[in-house]
Amino acid sequence: MSMRGPALAMLRLLAGLLIAGAVWEGAVIALGIRPHILPRLGMIWGAVMQAPQAYWDGFLRTLIETLIGFAMGACVGVLNGVVFFRLPTLRDMLLPIFVVSQTIPVIAFGALVVLWFGNTLMAKAIIAFYLTFFPVTVNTLLGLNSVDPRQVALLRSFGANGAQILFRLQLPMALPQTFVALRLAASLSLVGAIVGEWFGDTTGLGVLLLQAMYNENVVALWAAIFCCAILGTGFYALVAWAERRLVFWGAEQ
Amino acid sequence: MNRSALRGVIGAILLLAVWEGLARGFSLPAYTLPAVSEIMAAVWRHRAMLLPAGWLTMWEALSGYAVGSVLGIGFAVLLAVLTPLRGPLLPVLMAINSVPVAAYSPLVLLWFGIGVASKVVMVALAVGFTVFLSALAGFDRVDRRSVDLMRSFGAGPLAILWRLRLPAALPLIATGMRVSTVRSLIVAIVTEMLGAYGGLGWIIYQAVVQIDFVQVWSAIVVASCISLAFFGVVGAIERRVIFWR
Repeated sequence: MSMRGPALAMLRLLAGLLIAGAVWEGAVIALGIRPHILPRLGMIWGAVMQAPQAYWDGFLRTLIETLIGFAMGACVGVLNGVVFFRLPTLRDMLLPIFVVSQTIPVIAFGALVVLWFGNTLMAKAIIAFYLTFFPVTVNTLLGLNSVDPRQVALLRSFGANGAQILFRLQLPMALPQTFVALRLAASLSLVGAIVGEWFGDTTGLGVLLLQAMYNENVVALWAAIFCCAILGTGFYALVAWAERRLVFWGAEQ
Repeated sequence: MNRSALRGVIGAILLLAVWEGLARGFSLPAYTLPAVSEIMAAVWRHRAMLLPAGWLTMWEALSGYAVGSVLGIGFAVLLAVLTPLRGPLLPVLMAINSVPVAAYSPLVLLWFGIGVASKVVMVALAVGFTVFLSALAGFDRVDRRSVDLMRSFGAGPLAILWRLRLPAALPLIATGMRVSTVRSLIVAIVTEMLGAYGGLGWIIYQAVVQIDFVQVWSAIVVASCISLAFFGVVGAIERRVIFWR
């Protein structure tokens, strides 16, 4: 029974991908779409196979940027959530600023970050971090606030101190909410890494996208888009898997 | 003014004061951190350029937002009423959605040119998927037994949609649309930076190339004001429409 759910979902995903691929090939052949608009899937595969090293390097580079940004965002987000939960005054003072900071278009910020940190891996990770820490902060705070005060009172009556209550009760109870944000953050951190690379870099999926655009090479563009899709889906699946393992008592939808 | 709002205002004033103090006190160069007063002065000085650019970007974002919301809700309604369509359509939509939206912008620019159309398409794509996913989740949220009950009274799929599914889905749709406000502006600016004839993204790109960082900041200020206003308006409409929440 435990295997059936994931196996079925996997099968459905495969079937879905096959259908999407069939629609693609069918449309290109039946409607006679020129490769400049939409190339056939075989051509895209061929483009990757011509220079597999470039795509692999770009993939790895963007993956590392995404992971670092995501990890920083997750840690700082949870920490912020705990601090804001403990110090409501600080929360009232800082949370509105955080909200406003999220309305700043990240790309504009990207230009500044690249200037501050140079054209390094760290600059892209910072942009990914900037996109991810806020949802994690808000959802962790939400989760911590929804803990039943009677449970806290019960633990306290048994002599538990603040740290014990936090780690044994409050953080685990907030975990489903936190993971909702982490799943979102998985997608956002990848966007941050890709956009960050547009400010000038030599490797990465964002770079491949830009190069293909400047050369008006639609086939290479699609190849890079597919790499982004694989990276995005894989990372999302990883976070979702971690969620199922850690929040075994049922995830928030 | 209540207490938490007051603290928020104090926090904002403190931040601005620290910012201004840091920039002035250490006389930081503009490429590190220009003073707030300097940025505001630049916004005022370049108002003849920033206002039309902001107007254009806002227009692109609003058009794309409208198109994306209509398409997103439309597709969700379609899939909620005609469930057999889900089998073939949902995987295709999910495949499109699995790509980070920013990765599409080079392609959309090649397809639709560097005029306004490409920005509207990009914003519609980003907004459309967010609204679609939240609307579909909302339509599916209703209790199976309520649907059966209405059906036993002879209600058709459309009546069930209008009387039961839509009210249940509205809070989720509204959340999706509120989140999309900020995103629509970001996507418009991102696409403008890659190629455009005008707009805030174009100004930011030019300023980065010319290493004029006060200009970058002034464009950021204008963009943030627009996006805050948009967020506020949609949030206010949401509170009026979804009064039962």
